[in-house]
Amino acid sequence: MLAHTTSQLDVAAALLALLRDTTTEPRPDTQLEALTLAVAADLPVLLWGEPGIGKTAALTQLASSLDLPLTTVVASVHEPSDFSGLPIVGDDPAEQGVPMAPPDWAVRLVRAGRGLLFLDELSTAAPAVQAALLRLVLERRIGALQLPPGVRIVAAANPRASAADGWELSPPLANRFVHLQWAHDHEVVVRGLGGTWPRATLPRLDPSRLPEAVAFARRAVCGLLSARPGLVHRLPDGEARRGGPWPSPRSWETTLCLIAFATAAGASREVLSMLVRGTVGDGPGLELLAALDRMDLPDPEVLLADPEGAVLPERGDLRQAALDAVVAAVGQRPEKSRWDAAWALLARALETGAPDLLVVPATTLATLRREDWDVPASIERLAGAVSLSRRADRAANRTGAGAGAGR
Amino acid sequence: MPGRPEARALDLDKLYAARLYAARVRPYLATALFALHVVESRRVPTMAVDRHWRCYVAPAFVDRTPVEELAGVWVHEVSHLLRDHHGRSDRVARERGLTGLGDRLRMNIAADCEINDDVFGDGLVRPEGAIRPETLGLPPGELMEDYLGRFGLGPQTQDLAWLDCGSGADGLEREWDLGPAGAHGLSAQERDAMRFRVAQGITGRPGNSPKGWQRWAEEVFHPPQPWRELLGAAVRSAASGPGVGEDYTYGRPSRRSAGVPGAVLPSLRRRPPRVSVVIDTSGSVSDTELGSALHEVAEISRAVGGRRDLVTVLPCDTAAHLVHRLCRAEGIPLLGGGGTDLRAGFARALRTRPRPDVMVVLTDGQTRWPDTRPPCRTVVGLFPRQHGSYDEDDPGYVPDAPPAWARVVSIG
Repeated sequence: MLAHTTSQLDVAAALLALLRDTTTEPRPDTQLEALTLAVAADLPVLLWGEPGIGKTAALTQLASSLDLPLTTVVASVHEPSDFSGLPIVGDDPAEQGVPMAPPDWAVRLVRAGRGLLFLDELSTAAPAVQAALLRLVLERRIGALQLPPGVRIVAAANPRASAADGWELSPPLANRFVHLQWAHDHEVVVRGLGGTWPRATLPRLDPSRLPEAVAFARRAVCGLLSARPGLVHRLPDGEARRGGPWPSPRSWETTLCLIAFATAAGASREVLSMLVRGTVGDGPGLELLAALDRMDLPDPEVLLADPEGAVLPERGDLRQAALDAVVAAVGQRPEKSRWDAAWALLARALETGAPDLLVVPATTLATLRREDWDVPASIERLAGAVSLSRRADRAANRTGAGAGAGR
Repeated sequence: MPGRPEARALDLDKLYAARLYAARVRPYLATALFALHVVESRRVPTMAVDRHWRCYVAPAFVDRTPVEELAGVWVHEVSHLLRDHHGRSDRVARERGLTGLGDRLRMNIAADCEINDDVFGDGLVRPEGAIRPETLGLPPGELMEDYLGRFGLGPQTQDLAWLDCGSGADGLEREWDLGPAGAHGLSAQERDAMRFRVAQGITGRPGNSPKGWQRWAEEVFHPPQPWRELLGAAVRSAASGPGVGEDYTYGRPSRRSAGVPGAVLPSLRRRPPRVSVVIDTSGSVSDTELGSALHEVAEISRAVGGRRDLVTVLPCDTAAHLVHRLCRAEGIPLLGGGGTDLRAGFARALRTRPRPDVMVVLTDGQTRWPDTRPPCRTVVGLFPRQHGSYDEDDPGYVPDAPPAWARVVSIG
């Protein structure tokens, strides 16, 4: 009877071993990269996601790649005193005070000096527990203990709609977090259950790029905010936006830090987009990203210096923006040689891309002509764009809509 | 087109002249139009887009279509992308379990209806054969999701079977798609940035764009959330604040204290929230609206641990009527009709003993509000009134907005 039980357990163990025998494959993972960068930058991250979609698995992978021991604390099964410290009544409380004793995991964490603390299920904890946890996240204190700088904290919460007791961040608290929306990738899950889980290659900071990264981040944020002062501070309005990220000097500072980290790690725009929108909100975040796109455009003066060898953006709208900038640069300092160079550049753009986006820059450039300037030979090559414009005019005449009609 | 030589090259000049024309009559879409990457394809019936902002064009279609009509097709196709029809189709398919090819065709048709009802005119010619909601006997001005469930594929839509705006319109990959790794595609972040820039252009100069585009621009990054979720979150948050619901208290020692001598442990106490619902029963609120909102509040208060006998309902117009307990009867007589003064309802609800922890007010907002903040959390469920109210005696009357101390959720 005993032998039979053992053999059955052995068979079960063999079956379990087979089930656990999975392989991994390299696969870019935007959300994990974003999380890694925010954790590396030592910013409090809040993962928003439905229960059971692999937040814990992601944290395990992050901890192993950063070589940090992972401590998971499920907030909902703890009492507030587990985070704020247990009051221990001594012999003479009036003389000595009542010390707040920290729990064992906190003591171990402080003794180790480094680690990744994952506060799971924030949204299902009672309000008093949440209040105690926020002190832990923001002041890094557990009772009388101060967490050492080597400890990084990540929290997770369920979206408001699915949270049973309506966990909601007040605007000042929401402003301190980097909010990352955590979703599962259907393909990854299906492939993983089939035996192959993804292995993300996590971003690494390049020591040689640090000064350049800081300069770039400062230029990006300061450039945007000096042009758009209204974006510096804007409290969230409306019920739908409560508890989410919003712009303030504090969250812009966080953004600056994140841009520097993303640049030093050579992270993609996708990753940066997730981080920035999770810090200052969608609108200001997208404006910042649009400003970064403009920073990526080639410098008009460089284009004018060598029109024949110029490399223009492939995407039509960016190409038009670059050409508009060139024409504007000529308008600012009108000289015959620059005007000629701009025509040569337009001619080159016609050879390498769609003609319709040249019409506006060419028309504007033509109006910059001075009386004593001869029309350059390269303008001949733009005849295609001119006939295109005429064709559109004729269509407008047929429909009765004048060119440039308001709508 | 049978009998036509198919080997002709794509007339790019004509196509780009049409795009230029489209950008001139719709300047706020110019950025988006120029960002589209043209791919010649003999497998698409007319013009089609994929979710990576490539535009597949059939040379024969360009040949037989006048420039001004082609411009309309350009705007139509870019509208699919700006309005995220592929993403919304995928979501709808998941939510409603629509898996068939026919379902995707219906999504394409519904998306076309959403676009075509207000995109043409003002210099833009409606392309031949463009579907409008009227074609299917449906009202204009609604969203793709609304149209989707209201027509089937049948004799009425038989002529539309050739219709194919590509995977950018309905989310279903086509065999001609170049896929995410193909050349000149836009990444998800670039697509978001593009939608944002176009929306900004529209909200920056609202006078130049039609109503449909303005509404889109306002909602593109903040789609209105379902009011049930918002009302639920507001009531839940109000009903689980400090002092109510389940929470820890040092007022009574924990049973765990025995195991930890010397330590003072708090214990978990439960005090179910008392919810008082004040209902505006003036003539302006319909019974259906009230019924669904009331049902929602009852469900939510039960979910947060409230008991049905702790939910009271108070119908109110110019005077507060009797207080009803929700458990007593399903059909609470909603007395009243006529004008509204919710101040009476507030006062009556606060006179109830024991006092409510949360007050939920369901109203259309055509009322006066108390001057001071009541001593409990307040959630206002507001039934929107598009045209505003009109008072015969006082045509200039504008109702006050709900006060700042209340959390306001628009219902419906």
